[in-house]
Amino acid sequence: MRVSFPYMGATIIYGKLLELLGHEVIMPPRPTRKTIELGVKYSPEFACFPFKVLLGTYLECLDKGVDLFVTTGGQGPCRAGFYGELHKKILENLGYEVDFIIFDPPWRGFEKFYKQILTLKKDNSWPEVLRVIHTVYQMCKSLDKIEKTITTIRAYAGQEWAGLNKSWQDILRAYSRIETARDVARVEKEALEEIKKYNLQLAPVEKRIRIGIVGEIYVVMEASINGNIEEILNSFGAEVERSLYLSTYIDETIFPWIGRKEKEKLCQKARGYINLNIGGHARLSVGQIVDFKDRGFDGVIHLKPFACLPELISESMLEKLSADLDLPILSLSIDEQTAEANLLTRLDAFVDFIKYRKANCEERMSLSG
Amino acid sequence: MKIGIPRSLLYYYYYPFWQTLFKELGMELILSEANSGDLLNQGAKEAVPEICVPMKVYVGQVLNLLEKGVELIYIPRFVSIRKGITFCPKFLGLPDMLMNSLSGLDGKILTHEIRSRTDDISAYRNYALFRELFQVSKSKLSRALKAARRDWLEFRKLQQEGYKTEKLLQGEKEKRAEGSLKIGVLAYVYNLYDRYINMDFLERLEEKGVKLVSFEMLDEDLINKFIAKLRKPFFWEFTNKLMAAGHYFINSAEIDGIIHLTAFACGPDAILGPFLDLEAQGKNKPFMTLRIDEQTGESHFLTRIEAFVDLLSLKKRSDQT
Repeated sequence: MRVSFPYMGATIIYGKLLELLGHEVIMPPRPTRKTIELGVKYSPEFACFPFKVLLGTYLECLDKGVDLFVTTGGQGPCRAGFYGELHKKILENLGYEVDFIIFDPPWRGFEKFYKQILTLKKDNSWPEVLRVIHTVYQMCKSLDKIEKTITTIRAYAGQEWAGLNKSWQDILRAYSRIETARDVARVEKEALEEIKKYNLQLAPVEKRIRIGIVGEIYVVMEASINGNIEEILNSFGAEVERSLYLSTYIDETIFPWIGRKEKEKLCQKARGYINLNIGGHARLSVGQIVDFKDRGFDGVIHLKPFACLPELISESMLEKLSADLDLPILSLSIDEQTAEANLLTRLDAFVDFIKYRKANCEERMSLSG
Repeated sequence: MKIGIPRSLLYYYYYPFWQTLFKELGMELILSEANSGDLLNQGAKEAVPEICVPMKVYVGQVLNLLEKGVELIYIPRFVSIRKGITFCPKFLGLPDMLMNSLSGLDGKILTHEIRSRTDDISAYRNYALFRELFQVSKSKLSRALKAARRDWLEFRKLQQEGYKTEKLLQGEKEKRAEGSLKIGVLAYVYNLYDRYINMDFLERLEEKGVKLVSFEMLDEDLINKFIAKLRKPFFWEFTNKLMAAGHYFINSAEIDGIIHLTAFACGPDAILGPFLDLEAQGKNKPFMTLRIDEQTGESHFLTRIEAFVDLLSLKKRSDQT
């Protein structure tokens, strides 16, 4: 049975998990214009953009002979919790025979959940399964750490830009060869050394431009969909950190006892703006904006797919947040019609604005001092 | 105390409840004006551009109430009225959105969470904060809630007996006329009964001799039983109700066709639509989606309604011969 899954963020992690459990994995292709067109063609017009891209990805995978997709459901009230069901229905209607394993929270039907786990477990022993999960989790944490480093120092890469990007690809390849937890430590060490080679220095504090990215998980995590926003910002000389990495997401949903503290902290910071979980990451997005400000970031970019239900609520308060926090915030809507030139211009203007603001602020301070 | 109620969203489902409740508590109720081009434009200007049109209507209504000088605007936060099911995120975040995007609302929003097991939202614990706010005794509040419940149940009963909701909300009683065709409408109450936003959808169909049926006119048991049987119900209360109604319409020989009246960029409907559309296709039941927004041109809307009704008449005639 050939297995595949949605393309979001560090796909090598999901691939690795299934591969180490002994499944025949077909890696989903990185979404391209063609994927998007395919998805848009067969999706309901007002389904959100991630839904369309996933459908496109599934259709491309089906051409490669995939017969099982593993994905997550959820308990809403964000629409993503229903993606799986609707994808399945649309694919069946198109005449494809395909199975879905849609993971819903166990308390929505433990028996089904258990059966799904057994399917994925195959004939591995439970200790072996735990070992695999441990390895993949470590790998995920480590990879996110490296990625954060890259999106920070790439802002200063200058001449080394191409070299650094190539090293990053090499590092990713090294990660995809990992088999055990011990490999993770080794690969991480090598990766850090590789990056160190470039001898890139952070700018002095008053010159550093740090931008946080918050918003809906898919468009935040998936570079091929958000127009490589992190790289673009880096090229304008800004350091970038996202609100969401795969490991954050895992801590939040799969090992909630690990992520609980962080989540509570963010909810606390969102108080007065959104006091209730309204679905997706809307409440956390607001908390993260406040958090980025508290950590001294210079600006925040809020990303969402067009007409995203929960993020529209957070978007409606951005103006007030920006005024309350004295923090520039740019909100961008992403969908199949997003044009690259538009994105570039707006990001360029945003970073320019922040640089100008920072320089001015410094001047004011030196005058008064 | 003057309390304002925006004439939008669940006003069309719960107004009789709120009306009695606040009157019994000795408050003066002020309704916002019926939706109009001006009000909608004001709402659309203040709201996030991408948000669905009912939310823009709501913002317009709130602004209208502010102009009228009410002391409090009642904006309850509907969290759940069925176990395990909640509302669209925009309902959940409604008071937050308004408070953090409109100016002049500070201290003027009366909000509380509504959590209940059924559509009957009269449970005392939801309203406990009213006691202090309005300085009323526990027994007075209980009595007011009981009276509100009674009037609301009566309203629901009349709806199911075929009285026009739009008239009932104005305190009048008029039965919906029988027609030569029967069309099932899948629409949220705030789209179906807002005459401005749907360009007199109801009247236009009635003029053509069509009898409309929508979810709130159906037997509640039928809806509840269907939802209880769903393997994975939708997360959104009223979407489930539409799903149940849609399923009933598709399988009922009495219904000649189905119109899904939906707002531009309505998220839940984008998921609901395909499920019902595909089911209707399988059962050979005519199904049309009509989309409304603040820019809908009237003529295309009319043409489509007319064409659909013609098609249904023809189909009916050929089925009979």
